[in-house]
Amino acid sequence: MGVLRRNNVQIMGSGQKAMVFAHGFGCDQNMWRFVWPTFADEYRIILFDHVGCGGSDLKAYNVGKYASLEGYADDLIEICRELDITHGIFVGHSVSAMIGAVASIQAPELFDDLVMIGPSPRYIDDEDYTGGFSEAQIEELLDFLDDNHMGWSQAMAPVIMGNPDRPELSAELTNSFCMTDPEIAKRFARVTFLSDNRADLALVTARALVLQCSEDVIAPQAVGAYVHQCLPNSAFVLLQATGHCPNLSAPEETISAMKTFLEARDRERQI
Amino acid sequence: MSREIDDLDDLFENAPCGYVSAGPDGRITRANSTFASWLGREPSEFVGRRFQDFLNIAGKIYYETHFAPLMRMQGFFNEVALDLVHADGSRLPVLVNAVERRDQEGALRFVRITIFNASDRRRYERELLEARRAAENANAELQKLNHTLEERIAEAVEARMKSEAALRQAQKMEAVGQLTGGIAHDFNNMLAVILSALNLLERRLAKGEDISRYIAAAKDGAARAAAVTQRLLAFSRQQTLAPEPLYANQMVAEMSELLRRTLGEAVRLETVLAGGLWQILTDKNVLENAILNLAINARDAMTEGGRLTIETANCHLDEANGAEHDVEPGQYVMVAVTDTGTGMTPDVVAKAFDPFFTTKGPGKGTGLGLSQVFGFVKQSGGHIKIYSEIGQGTSIKIYLPRYYGAAETRKRLEARTLARGADSEVVLVVEDDEQVLALTAQMLRDLGYGVIEARGGEEALAALSAHPEIRLLFTDVVMPDMNGRRLAEKALERRPDLKVLFTTGYTRNAVEHNGVLDPSVNLLQKPASLEQLAVKIRTVLDG
Repeated sequence: MGVLRRNNVQIMGSGQKAMVFAHGFGCDQNMWRFVWPTFADEYRIILFDHVGCGGSDLKAYNVGKYASLEGYADDLIEICRELDITHGIFVGHSVSAMIGAVASIQAPELFDDLVMIGPSPRYIDDEDYTGGFSEAQIEELLDFLDDNHMGWSQAMAPVIMGNPDRPELSAELTNSFCMTDPEIAKRFARVTFLSDNRADLALVTARALVLQCSEDVIAPQAVGAYVHQCLPNSAFVLLQATGHCPNLSAPEETISAMKTFLEARDRERQI
Repeated sequence: MSREIDDLDDLFENAPCGYVSAGPDGRITRANSTFASWLGREPSEFVGRRFQDFLNIAGKIYYETHFAPLMRMQGFFNEVALDLVHADGSRLPVLVNAVERRDQEGALRFVRITIFNASDRRRYERELLEARRAAENANAELQKLNHTLEERIAEAVEARMKSEAALRQAQKMEAVGQLTGGIAHDFNNMLAVILSALNLLERRLAKGEDISRYIAAAKDGAARAAAVTQRLLAFSRQQTLAPEPLYANQMVAEMSELLRRTLGEAVRLETVLAGGLWQILTDKNVLENAILNLAINARDAMTEGGRLTIETANCHLDEANGAEHDVEPGQYVMVAVTDTGTGMTPDVVAKAFDPFFTTKGPGKGTGLGLSQVFGFVKQSGGHIKIYSEIGQGTSIKIYLPRYYGAAETRKRLEARTLARGADSEVVLVVEDDEQVLALTAQMLRDLGYGVIEARGGEEALAALSAHPEIRLLFTDVVMPDMNGRRLAEKALERRPDLKVLFTTGYTRNAVEHNGVLDPSVNLLQKPASLEQLAVKIRTVLDG
């Protein structure tokens, strides 16, 4: 099974420079639908699904490998190397912002720029660090995932492609945009919300843009500020958009911030 | 107009579901009374907040990561199960529908969120979940139990099979022992006949006398021995069939004497032999053995006595018979052995041809007989069928294919040797086997002894009284009415000076351990050569 098939890689656009989009927890490459077309003229657009999500090969899911963000970062590196990407632009949402940061540390030649939308290196509060969640709240989330399987499935039903227990669901699914395997999604949630990659931030050499939403319950403003503060070379933009997915709820604002960042990079280069 | 507005307002506020309207920025502009009351708040408290603010933590996360993107991408989401948080901190399970309303230019005007109380439904789901979990556990238990049961059965079966195998082995060994002993006895008698005949031949030839009697006797003994050997090989399943064309009628007729003796007096033997019976091509000895086997089974099924019928007939097995019994349709010769015994249950009939299956008690049967018959019949391209009725009897029919070729008699090997001998004392020879008796007597006469013959103990005692000149009692050990030892005791009571010499086909060990003889007695092992006989008689007389 090739890497490209494994991660359902889609290649679009007509530019030389690669712009790689990575979706976060809860969705798939569909979440970039309002953003990537704007960049298709100028960049070679790479879209993909993490293993376990969207159109990826579910059989490739390996509990051990994907028990940490490094497993996902390895896949990202493999995809880029398969496509001979160097000095590209990485656009990552939520947990994938950190996956991109980890990949860029391991393979610095891949990306010159990281666009991190709603990044969080750690979701749980820790001493002076504000992650946005108490340990108890994350425990509640994980217990909810573990103990209330059917309730969770029920909550997830709209986004589940195939539910073997309830085959009638898939037939009449009205909510079918972001497909996900429930068991894998549970594990992905655990990996995401228990991750702590704060120490990695200082090792990132690429230029970075931190896009922070207003009123983001998943990645509060303090977290975005922390990321910006720890990254050696970063810009910080606080969006007016609320929630956790500005790429969907406020694509124009997101695109505008990205362009501003990328153009500034180009101006620097010209100077 | 205001009444209509009041009515609609009432419908909105007091509908059985919660209604929430939110602006393009996601902030709530209006929530109905139903929704507010469910969460223990005033409707005005919701304005300016976002719907997800009232979800529990998992709901907040899933709303942001899953359902908000979904609504943005497809314009709605339906029946999403979420938990709202009541003002007092308690949870309210709900199902949520949401839809975006857009203007003609496609700009988002507002979001309508409809909330259904799902407490009951969630409770059913929980009960269903628990029931399913219980069912799964029960199923797992059951599987485990099944597995254990299967294991236990497998162990029990294995143990049972081991013990049965051990029993079969023991039975086989016992049967082999019995058979060996019996066969050895018969065999020694036959060898005695042959040896004696050859010795006498040697002597007669030397004198130029008529030898045909002895040649015939030797041939007969050798043939009988060969037949016994064949049976032994059959028993050990190492026989190679030597088919010859034969008429079953003739064979059955030849067997009748043997059968009568085998069956005993309580069983009457009848033969019903078909006229114009076709030839068959088969191994005569094996077929004889098979019939003998069936006859013995029949006898054992008729403990109170009865009638055994051996019947022959020409038969045509047609397609139907052939298909049913897995035999080629065609012409067959049937040999049926029918008894008036206890009969067999269908159960027993079904297993009757299984190797080692026996209804006889331990040590009484090996369970090999019928399976061998079956194997032989099948090997001969034939068929065997059991008909049995409890209390009526059993009929076993052997069908062997008709042979179309010409009959041909097997050539038999001729035996030939010479004889000689001399001396003059009177010996009383006691032997239940007529032929052995005659030959032994002849050898002793040839050796020059006076000979008086007796066929059993009583006859011998009478001869002793009538012939005081008898100096030596030469007796077989194993005889039906009075054994050799008893005879010798009685004889010595009357004639204390009488010399005694025993002879037996059993080994010395066998007769001594069975308490038949003292180790000190004079014993001549059968079969003895003329020289061995001469030396032993002389030694005993001179001792």
